Amino acid sequence: MQYKWTSRLVIGLTLTFLIGPFLIIVLAGLSAGDFMTFPPEGLSLKWYLKVFTVDSFRASFTLSMFLAVFGTIAALILGVPAAYAISRYDIPFGETIKTIVAAPIIVPGIIVGLALLRYLVVPLNFTVTLALFLAHTALVLPYAVRVVSASLNNLRSDMEEAAVLLGCTRLGAFMKVVLPNIQGGVLAAFILGFVTSFNQVPVSLFLSGPGVRTLPIDMLSYMEITYDPSVAALSALLAFLSVIIVFIAEKFLGFSRYV
Amino acid sequence: MALALPAAVFTALLFLLPVTILLSEAFTINGEWSLQGYVDFATTPLNQTVFLRTLKLGALVAFTSAIIGYACAFCIVNLEGKSRGRIFGLVVLPLMISPVARTYAWIVILGRTGIVNDTIVSLGLSDTPIRILFTETAVFIGLLQLFLPLMIISLVSSMENLPRDVISAARVLGANWFQVFTKVILPLTKDGLVMGGTLVFTGSLTAYITPAILGGSRVLMLETLLYQRVNVANDFVSAGVIATILIVMCFAANLLLKRIAKARS
Repeated sequence: MQYKWTSRLVIGLTLTFLIGPFLIIVLAGLSAGDFMTFPPEGLSLKWYLKVFTVDSFRASFTLSMFLAVFGTIAALILGVPAAYAISRYDIPFGETIKTIVAAPIIVPGIIVGLALLRYLVVPLNFTVTLALFLAHTALVLPYAVRVVSASLNNLRSDMEEAAVLLGCTRLGAFMKVVLPNIQGGVLAAFILGFVTSFNQVPVSLFLSGPGVRTLPIDMLSYMEITYDPSVAALSALLAFLSVIIVFIAEKFLGFSRYV
Repeated sequence: MALALPAAVFTALLFLLPVTILLSEAFTINGEWSLQGYVDFATTPLNQTVFLRTLKLGALVAFTSAIIGYACAFCIVNLEGKSRGRIFGLVVLPLMISPVARTYAWIVILGRTGIVNDTIVSLGLSDTPIRILFTETAVFIGLLQLFLPLMIISLVSSMENLPRDVISAARVLGANWFQVFTKVILPLTKDGLVMGGTLVFTGSLTAYITPAILGGSRVLMLETLLYQRVNVANDFVSAGVIATILIVMCFAANLLLKRIAKARS
């Protein structure tokens, strides 16, 4: 009995520390006053509504969405064949290839951003958007390979062999037999990649120019200038968005199995 | 091979190559091979402070999260099936939310007119608000909240493999709870501890958002220093030196992890 209460207390305190700040952010965004305070001065939805009218937020949200969706799709186009080759064939330099592809997780993002700015954008005239797109693709690629590999490893390979024996081409067997069976993993990889890319800050830090900013960078610079509750409201909205995506993914995919 | 090649070439060319060039820049001054950049960096007092502070905060956050993590993981593992999944989900959830949003909350809590200061002043503990924001304490709290879930996840997954009976066996044989922890639980879960510790430590070393928002220019860490060197001073040699330090530490930590994973299998 005593243990049960201690256990509840420990879990309760930890969750308060981890999640409590969000509840405060949600409430601070509801303030009717002009400055961040808690408890809020009166209640209103004005800051939640204001978020949608700030031009720079709209532009940076669009850019972040674009990077997250297309960067992840590009990473899957590169990553799914790589995962297939790694898990099905004993390829030469397999370990080296795995290490290279996994590197973007280990190398701190701020360094990547600076390197791309100095050696791709400035000398080779890449646009900042293109550099951001390439960086986000490289960053999501390791997750795509890992998650898709895991679901390929759970899939028995004799099914595709059977398809090939029955006259299917390798590509046909992959499209008709393998892909339908790993679609859960591919979708989970997409969601994980999307969230990773959308929340990414360090890589985009140096790669943001005037007019080209991802949403988190825009929020960082906005909060340096003003202290009104709109950043709190926007943070709360983004948190809700993540929670909803993860909740749906968990419900239909059993998302946590893949992460 | 041909299937895996595009991914490897893409990462090697667009990712590793630029980073390698950047790192090599720290070894060249005016076109000549030199270690002067490192010497200059190491002999500047500010850089020494920032380097030591980064290591100190990383170690402190890893240590504290291990203590909280053990307590919390132990309780989670002992929960019944359904509520266990639910609590575990709540622990994982913050990882999916923007770190900017997660860090911003602490401004509201720790700021001059934040919750903590309001409480302190209204309780009469201090006449004026005390400075918490832009101190190491604030950065420490922010980092702990950011990375604690990683530690709990690692410890939960390694405790799940712990046979239930070993703890009761140790208890029956007369061990007190402290001995149970140091002689039974700790040795059997040390893989999880090292894994969680490495993730939290490297995460803290390479954090940018938390020291930027909660520390400002008063409490610089390696990444915020790097950003400042480039943006304020256009000093790419120092930037290269800091980048090398960060990458070496991250790769060393990762090698350690790989070795443990190999020894386990």
